[in-house]
Amino acid sequence: MNRCPAKILCSSRILTAGIICLFIITMTTVDVSAAELWIGAATVDITPNPPVALAGLRVASTIQSRCMANVLALESREGGRVVDQAILVSCDLCILPGIQEGLRKHLANQLPGFDNINKLFLVATHTHTAMMVLKNQYDEKDYGDAMQPKEYVPWLYEQMAQAVKKAWNTRAAGAVAWGLGHAVVGGNRRVVYSDGSARMYGNINDSKFRHIEGYADHAVHILCFYDLQKRLKATAIALACPAQSVTNREVVSADFWHDVRELLYQRYGKELCVLGLCSPAGDQSPKLHYRKEAESRMDQFRGLTRTQELGRRIADTFVDVANVIARDIRDSVSLVHLVQQVDLPARIVTDAEYAGAKKMCDAMDAKKVKGHTEWYWRTYQGLVVDRYLAQQKGGWKNYAIEMHVLRLGDVAIATNPFELFLDYGVQIQARSPAIQTFLIQLASAPAGYAGYVPTPRAIKAGGYSTDVLVNMISPDGAQVLVERTLESIDSLWNVPAK
Amino acid sequence: MKACRLQLLSFVCVLSLVVGVTPSSGSSNTLFIGSATIDITPSRPIALAGQFNTRISRSVENPITATAVAIETRDGDRMVDCAVLVSCDIVSFRPTVPAPLQEKLKKTLPGFDSSKVVLTATHTHTSAVTEEGAYKIPKEGVMQPAEYTEFLINKLAEVIGKAWGKRQPGGVSWVLGHAVVGLNRRAVYADGKAKMYGSTTTNSFRGIEGGEDHGLEMLFFWDKDNKPLAVCINVECPSQEVESRYTINADFWHDVRTQIHAEINNDLCVLGWPGAAGDISPHRMYRKAAEERMLKLRGLTYTQEIGRRITTAVKDVYELAKRDIHTEVPFAHQVKELALPVRMVTEKELAEAKTQAEALEKKGDTGVKGRWFQRTVDRYNKQNKEPTQTVDVHILRIGDIAIATNPFEMFHDYGVQMKSRSKALQTFVIQLTGPSCGYLATKRAIEGGGYSAVVQSNRIGHEGGQMLVEETLKTINELFQ
Repeated sequence: MNRCPAKILCSSRILTAGIICLFIITMTTVDVSAAELWIGAATVDITPNPPVALAGLRVASTIQSRCMANVLALESREGGRVVDQAILVSCDLCILPGIQEGLRKHLANQLPGFDNINKLFLVATHTHTAMMVLKNQYDEKDYGDAMQPKEYVPWLYEQMAQAVKKAWNTRAAGAVAWGLGHAVVGGNRRVVYSDGSARMYGNINDSKFRHIEGYADHAVHILCFYDLQKRLKATAIALACPAQSVTNREVVSADFWHDVRELLYQRYGKELCVLGLCSPAGDQSPKLHYRKEAESRMDQFRGLTRTQELGRRIADTFVDVANVIARDIRDSVSLVHLVQQVDLPARIVTDAEYAGAKKMCDAMDAKKVKGHTEWYWRTYQGLVVDRYLAQQKGGWKNYAIEMHVLRLGDVAIATNPFELFLDYGVQIQARSPAIQTFLIQLASAPAGYAGYVPTPRAIKAGGYSTDVLVNMISPDGAQVLVERTLESIDSLWNVPAK
Repeated sequence: MKACRLQLLSFVCVLSLVVGVTPSSGSSNTLFIGSATIDITPSRPIALAGQFNTRISRSVENPITATAVAIETRDGDRMVDCAVLVSCDIVSFRPTVPAPLQEKLKKTLPGFDSSKVVLTATHTHTSAVTEEGAYKIPKEGVMQPAEYTEFLINKLAEVIGKAWGKRQPGGVSWVLGHAVVGLNRRAVYADGKAKMYGSTTTNSFRGIEGGEDHGLEMLFFWDKDNKPLAVCINVECPSQEVESRYTINADFWHDVRTQIHAEINNDLCVLGWPGAAGDISPHRMYRKAAEERMLKLRGLTYTQEIGRRITTAVKDVYELAKRDIHTEVPFAHQVKELALPVRMVTEKELAEAKTQAEALEKKGDTGVKGRWFQRTVDRYNKQNKEPTQTVDVHILRIGDIAIATNPFEMFHDYGVQMKSRSKALQTFVIQLTGPSCGYLATKRAIEGGGYSAVVQSNRIGHEGGQMLVEETLKTINELFQ
């Protein structure tokens, strides 16, 4: 996991074949017939005692809310025969570079009957007040006695492994229902000005402000899992918003997912397993652009913090939908799980981008003592330099990702490892043959940083999140991701690829 | 470029400020409130407005109504300022209604300043045509537009008179809620072109052009005993879910009213106010199957579902609103006339309009599309002599909130600009108020093209839209200094 940019380059070169390729690591014959569904779930606390290093150069000395990992194990069986399997782990972490690979290794041979460890996949809720898991961007000395990744990550593996084993080993025949609700949580965070430029969280109280760049999607996708007595055991809730509304950033916090869980525990019992899933939301956040005072006033009227209010909205939606879909609980559904390795066209580093990055690296390297910021940005600028040099030699033209696509009854689930701009998610949902399509970003993260995937209009307008520094794939690559995702979903619905 | 901008700015002139406005709106005065609702459903079949083709109503699915709230502030016995806010189940107001209504009010309510009536259309497309000649309408068995218009003016005068006559000491509270109702309806494709209700299932689909605002700005009015009199709900969505039907139907506002009456208070007057929603509608652009399935599971139609979402939001804030009633608030109501630069018809657009108008005439088209193109030709012929168009806007301050109206189907982005830069705690942006002036599209929408952003749809261009924003903000922010 502790990989330097050079090592990442090596692995990318190996994966690069020069052409876009798609191969299925693990793909059973696509059998979409309905089958018995076995379900297991478990929750584990992944919060260490503070002080602890947080993602993004900070140290938390207190815990505002505890970060958790929630595990859902699924298996379909037909006449005693296993048809397919999946284990999904949702973590209250910011990003998961290399964590999935590490957990799979940690769990080797510990899950009897789980036929392929690659069918276990991890997703992050993107809370920015969670523990740091990536080591190479930091100087350990900067964090004093705070727990750091070298100590935290092994403990994290063990905690998550216990929960995965519990979920898997306690799986039992059950039932599932799915539904759609709405809650206003995320919003587009890119502000566009009269000169056509854009800025993430740009000032809108400006006469040059013209519009918010793109769309926001307030859908809440809900999967409910029950035992055979139709008692709710677990839920997976997907919305296009990362968990990053906490403003006190020197604390450990699971952000609004903590508040969602607390409200659902109150209603359904503490044993309920709640998986928070972040849909494509690279250009979204829960932070407000306008009406801030009005929203704050309403929060005060209710006596709620912002995360509590967001939690209230999501939990209210959940209750509303859960009551409705309880009329359509299925105990016999199809489950198919494809795990694919997909090469996506990389973003090509231009001469100017290389020159700029090289200059910054040289300036930072010249400093004898590096501060937090230098340590952090040197990694990314160095990667731009390395990518350019590799591309000049014909390498680094593709970026390999692991993609999971599942069919569960009438629902499709598809993952990507990026902070993917919302428009791509809208395209996939609009063209998917499934009744409902759950999309999950920040899933199955590679060892390195997968970055943002902006749209062409966003790249044209510029601003953070559209820079080559944080874009590993190009808009063409993003479009390939859309098409490959749809082809996989189509294959599960026996629909010819469009 | 700068010179050009200055030249354009010079077009904008505030022609008049209506009398009766206190120079400073900061001082609080005692509120008097009255409210009333009236049925405006015709007794006979009528022509329905809102589509290019002629539709004659075959039945009444639910009543169309007009609702009024009268507000007056007094300093002792002296009136300081006033407004009558009216929401009406109609697609838009043609010039045939507002001015004759004002004249009528001068007779029926002597002493009342009829320019203080804020007349807003909910944009239901299953309501009456109010101008002659727009459609070819059978003469037999159909109530003609002129007759319905007279009926409507009488009804509006009656409901305004009732609300005004019933005013009594009362209070107001303002709150914010949320409901997902309006959806951006412009799909954008790989070639950069945009289309209203364009297909999102094609592989050239790239995204939705703009955003949406699911905030619900709400004003509650109460009597002296804190009993609710009225609620004004500002939803960024026109009421056009059932827009192509051949029936009278108030669309989702009927369901909102019915559910609020059943679940909150049967006597509550409900005013529906459309926000900046030129590019917004209740129609789903994607995920249609999932939405349909949920409707089936709930056993609801989509207008009922919208009613449910809005009513849930209203119920959610009702008790909070009741805890923060203000009986003395700063209040001001300004009515401004703005001269905005027209969108100039280019030679190419002229040629296209001529061709289309002629082709439709040759086909014997009975709808309004031929006129739509012909108007563009007419505009070209007079645009150099008449480079501006005058529009009325109402700007109100009520306590900590502002209300800003415009007569357009105004694109969402302009509303966001107004809300973002307003000094008010909450800014209610209300479109389709006063005589309708067509779509007001943004620069990016005009570049993308498509119905609502083509020259035929826009009498005012994006430069005028920006000027409307600046003038509105200037007035709001003066009221909050």
